[in-house]
Amino acid sequence: MSDYSVIGKRVHNIDGTEKVTGSGKYTFDVVLPNMLYGKILRSPHPHAKILKIDTRRAKRLVGVKAVVTGKDTLGRKQGIWRRFPELCDEEILCRAKVRYIGDAVAAVAAIDEDTAEEALDLIDVEYEPLPAVFDPMDAIKEDAPQIHEGVELNININRHIEWGDVDEAFEKCDHIREDKFKCSSQAHVCMETHDAVASFGHNGKLEVWTSSQSSYYIQRLYADMLDMNESDIRVTNRHTGGGFGSKFELDSAQFCAAILSQKLCQPVKIVLTREEEFTATKRRTPMYYFLKLGAKKDGTMLAKEVRVITEGGAYTAMGATALYLTGFFSSFPYKYPNYRYDGYRVYTNTATTSAMRGFGAPQSTFVGESQIDMMAEDLGIDPVEIRRKNGMTPNYEVPGQAFIQSCGLHQCLDKIEEHIEKRGKLPPNHGIGVSAYGFMSGGIFNWFNTPYAFSAAVVRINIDGKVDVYTGTCDMGQGSNTTLAMICAEELGVRLEDVRMFSGDTGICPPDLGAWGSRQTLMGGNAVKMAAAECKQQLIEFTAAKMGVNIVYDLDIKDRWVHLVDRPERGVSYFDIVKEAIRGKDGVAIMGRGHYTPHRKGMISPAYSFGVQAAEVEVDPETGRYKLVNVTTAHESGTVINPVGIEGQLEGAIMMAGGYGFCEDQPMDEGKILNPSIADYKLIRSLDMPETDILEIDTYEPEGPFGAKEAGEGLTNPTAGAIGNAVYKAVGVRIYDLPITPEKVFKALKEKEKQQKKAKK
Amino acid sequence: MKKELKFKVNGQPYEIFVKPKTLLVEVLRDLVGLTGTKRGCSSSSCGACTVMLDGMAVKSCSVLALQANGTEVVTVEGLAKGNELSPLQRAFLDHGSYQCGFCTPGMLMSSTALLTENPRPTKLEIKEGIDGNICRCTGYNAIVRAVTAVVKGEYKEAK
Amino acid sequence: MSYQCPVCNKVSNKSALDLARHMIGRGDKVHRDWINSKGFKYSELLALQFSSFGGEGFKSLAEVLEKEAKVKD
Ligand code: FES
Ligand code: FES
Ligand SMILES: [Zn+2]
Repeated sequence: MSDYSVIGKRVHNIDGTEKVTGSGKYTFDVVLPNMLYGKILRSPHPHAKILKIDTRRAKRLVGVKAVVTGKDTLGRKQGIWRRFPELCDEEILCRAKVRYIGDAVAAVAAIDEDTAEEALDLIDVEYEPLPAVFDPMDAIKEDAPQIHEGVELNININRHIEWGDVDEAFEKCDHIREDKFKCSSQAHVCMETHDAVASFGHNGKLEVWTSSQSSYYIQRLYADMLDMNESDIRVTNRHTGGGFGSKFELDSAQFCAAILSQKLCQPVKIVLTREEEFTATKRRTPMYYFLKLGAKKDGTMLAKEVRVITEGGAYTAMGATALYLTGFFSSFPYKYPNYRYDGYRVYTNTATTSAMRGFGAPQSTFVGESQIDMMAEDLGIDPVEIRRKNGMTPNYEVPGQAFIQSCGLHQCLDKIEEHIEKRGKLPPNHGIGVSAYGFMSGGIFNWFNTPYAFSAAVVRINIDGKVDVYTGTCDMGQGSNTTLAMICAEELGVRLEDVRMFSGDTGICPPDLGAWGSRQTLMGGNAVKMAAAECKQQLIEFTAAKMGVNIVYDLDIKDRWVHLVDRPERGVSYFDIVKEAIRGKDGVAIMGRGHYTPHRKGMISPAYSFGVQAAEVEVDPETGRYKLVNVTTAHESGTVINPVGIEGQLEGAIMMAGGYGFCEDQPMDEGKILNPSIADYKLIRSLDMPETDILEIDTYEPEGPFGAKEAGEGLTNPTAGAIGNAVYKAVGVRIYDLPITPEKVFKALKEKEKQQKKAKK
Repeated sequence: MKKELKFKVNGQPYEIFVKPKTLLVEVLRDLVGLTGTKRGCSSSSCGACTVMLDGMAVKSCSVLALQANGTEVVTVEGLAKGNELSPLQRAFLDHGSYQCGFCTPGMLMSSTALLTENPRPTKLEIKEGIDGNICRCTGYNAIVRAVTAVVKGEYKEAK
Repeated sequence: MSYQCPVCNKVSNKSALDLARHMIGRGDKVHRDWINSKGFKYSELLALQFSSFGGEGFKSLAEVLEKEAKVKD
């Protein structure tokens, strides 16, 4: 393993100096000549007909250049499930009806933000409020208001996954549990809010700078909504201030900026306010979960039945995928011989729920890992042991669904068991909870209907030997540019500082589906590796000819040295070879192309990573308040390309996933989010952050570049479950709905006391 | 009615006319042109806009520009000396204390102010020092490690 | 023994319960209309199905299908 010269080394991110000096340019910082500022007017009603919009007063305000409404659009509807027109249901600028508090109805462009803001107050919208529905359980009732024309009972989509004979298997079980859970919503809270600078030229072409996870998706969705050729649209993303699943659908900032710019042929910048970010962008999907689990006395789990109904909010967005993945990952990371899942996504008059880091799996892992601990207790089996008994192993086929090649779950369980043993006897009111998970390395499904390869890259070697990589992947802070540059440097035999990345610019980079579903390292990485290999091949052929070496020898390049594999001292400088090779090719730079599309790799993903987490909490039994003391994670992600990156992903995931378990919530009243500010939306700050330890397990994934696979998103899955289990271990109360707040723990403790008193009497 | 604001930013004197309601962060970003300072909330709760005002960390979204009259402001652009990064900047690089980087200028300013005031903070004091800054990416611990390394003297000030 | 969906002709060779699952699962207008025409309320079956295990929501429909959708092999 260690004969890698770049991979696995502790390096600075290749954009690190820009970030620590404040010189990196985000969309938030982009200023263009003649640029205007836009603002968006949003619906105050959860459900209403738009009767009339009068923009005359706003247009008269000095400094206002344009006001647009849905009438200025083509009236098309966007959706990321482009293969299913009925799931493309979002106009973005509503024409006839609004469906949640925050739906956009008009937009203004003015000389500055203050003027634009002032103009919003001068737009008169006449609404006819309609009855609204907020809870999915109510929304499926016959008399519930219909949110989308023709969608009866508001059922947006349903999903069924099944294998084995579940009913028969339950009859063979010694013990069966049925439990209900509720998973809450969560906001992404990217530090850079959604923003865009759109510039439509007199030449009919559109250029957009935007904070995004997939420039290609945004480009394609623009093309659909504006009826343009995608090649007339250039979407650029330099730095993105966080994404976490919130930035790969066309959003209101992007769309309204483009519509305004199209009218004026002037650049328009829209930056969503933090309040808009909380109320009018997408969020994690709340789910009602019903679980039935059956096991033999010895802990062998024979069957699982899962039923889910999710609060979809106003539009489909990526919610259909979340519905599917939560069903699939409800079986993870265990070998259920019999499994059945029924999931329903229901429209409601609330902010749309969609993708967020983990994509349905944090929900399924919280409920599943809570229930398996309860099952273990019922059967008198140790929690680690029951996971060991049923856990997935390498080369396991999830019946009819997926094939898992590398899998280090059992090593992770061993490590966590050691960790718990080492911790020894815990102080009073401390508890350690365990939670296991698995996650995918990029989705295989192509509902977006891309005609291109899933990932693609071009590598170019310049005359000075320096290497340019062009890839449509997007670095939103997760460090994919560094990881991909490391892969390129390793494959080509140069140093990291020789590589320069150009990413996320549809004008110069080959299309790539972008950063979601943990696809960049494996899919983007394979594409980059292939492109680099093609360049290397050209150099090696040239060297072989030049050196006149015996044909039986193999050549390789390592650390800028082109040499015979068997006699490494015999070689030539990489830089010299590049110079000569380019001259020899009549001055044409050396180029390689690479691509990756998964074929015949199951229905979900070409590879899966696994891990086990142990969370230690200290609960104050008087108040229910508790502290996250330590979170230790045993984790495998194939070959570790960028260790500093993985540590960062892990710790960051604990901040976010711990927040999901511990404190983050979006309470609502009649569809109105009650805490739309960072002051009121409680998230983990540095003082709440537990100690974090990582135990890296060695595995090798044959499908991944240099054996690598997913490493950052899956880590969002286990923490809420681990916290729930830890609280139970500490004070003996089980919380069934997220987040596990002190109030809930306190109430449960009181309830338990009552029961105990009753029992004594 | 615009008023004159005289102050220094990163050692450079400026005289600018601003409206009474203009915020310090707006002056820094839009008029002085230093976009390293970010905004994440505009309501004093995320820390992305943190700068140093006469040596103290302040959230520049909650300071009126005119309140900075006569002061010396340091922004993230003022940390490096020429082409030499400051110890904290180098420590942030080594420890991977940033990911998307949007909170990083604020984090650097909060921790620089902390070390100016208290060169030997404990771990708890470091955590307190950045508790007003939200980072959605890193989980803070890498930032605490970087500051700790500087406190331990692992990074020397550039001369 | 197998069962054939009266709406879309999908065949289940398992049981009437399995076919009921298909019909409720599809849940499109034609399937719903057929179910409602048998005196059920689709939405109620669905709600029952969410909140109970062992296919409670499917059972009563399965009884009807047992009679009406069976085909001899
Ligand atoms: S922008 Fe000033 S604290 Fe958030
Ligand atoms: S690095 Fe992204 S918010 Fe801190
Ligand atoms: Zn049918």
